[in-house]
Amino acid sequence: MDKLARQLREDADRINVTVSDELDHRIEASLRAVTPERARPAMPVARPPLFWWASTITGVAAALAVIAIVNWQTSEQQTATPVQVADLEPPIDLNLEAAMLTAPLEEELEALQSDLKKAEEKVRRDIGL
Amino acid sequence: MTTELQLVAAAKAGSADAFADLARRYRERLLRFLLTRCASLADAEDVLQDTLINAYRYIHSYDPRWRFSTWLYRIAIRNASKLRGPQLVDVASMGELRDEESDPLLQCIADSEKENLWVVARRLLNDDVFAAMWLRYAEDMSVNDISTTLDRSVSWTKVNLMRGRRALDDELNDTVGKSEAYG
Repeated sequence: MDKLARQLREDADRINVTVSDELDHRIEASLRAVTPERARPAMPVARPPLFWWASTITGVAAALAVIAIVNWQTSEQQTATPVQVADLEPPIDLNLEAAMLTAPLEEELEALQSDLKKAEEKVRRDIGL
Repeated sequence: MTTELQLVAAAKAGSADAFADLARRYRERLLRFLLTRCASLADAEDVLQDTLINAYRYIHSYDPRWRFSTWLYRIAIRNASKLRGPQLVDVASMGELRDEESDPLLQCIADSEKENLWVVARRLLNDDVFAAMWLRYAEDMSVNDISTTLDRSVSWTKVNLMRGRRALDDELNDTVGKSEAYG
């Protein structure tokens, strides 16, 4: 606790407050006169029987409508003519020689092997073999 | 000894005795705080009584995740602010407008050579910053609890605690500087 905090604490303690007997009795009497409110439980909502019938019928009608729409769309999709994929020409000529794909890698490998050989020779020279 | 939570549970179940026991633990601390916000001791006592009655009446809404003191101070501050108007003057101006005989806070401070820092704080700070400083340094409340009590954000609370401290520090340094210069 720093100096200011300590002084604030001490100064708060220097404020002398006492609850008088009269106030004490007043508070106690007030508390006895008060009835604490209870938390209100969630009340179930009362609905007429017609409401349940109406909601059931609406639900069934909605389900039937969805089934009918889905089936209608499926039959529409089946009547569509299939696309002749074989008739389509490939847009890019993919007939490439294998050498065109592997040549850069082979060149890279040769360069690496050459570097390795040079490094080996340098090491041999350095250690006097 | 019955713990606070046990007393709260009993009070929630309708025990006025349990709540009276709880009230006894906090009433002096609350009254001291209210004294810094109200224009007279009678007002502070009225607000204390209303606070405890409201707390008991709505004890079912108390959430044990909060500290009971946080909840109680929140109600007290709300009740005190209802006194705004002719019955309650602005805390910051109370130190200037009121003389020693009519200021309830000054009447309750033990005689000392040094001016009580809370009287200085009341003169320098606005209501909410003063309340934040009081809850932090007189009640040892955490920053989170203070922000909940004052219904402010945590960042607001941190910034204003720092500003309050700085204002008091500056005032103290000025006072020390003057007394050294004249002494």
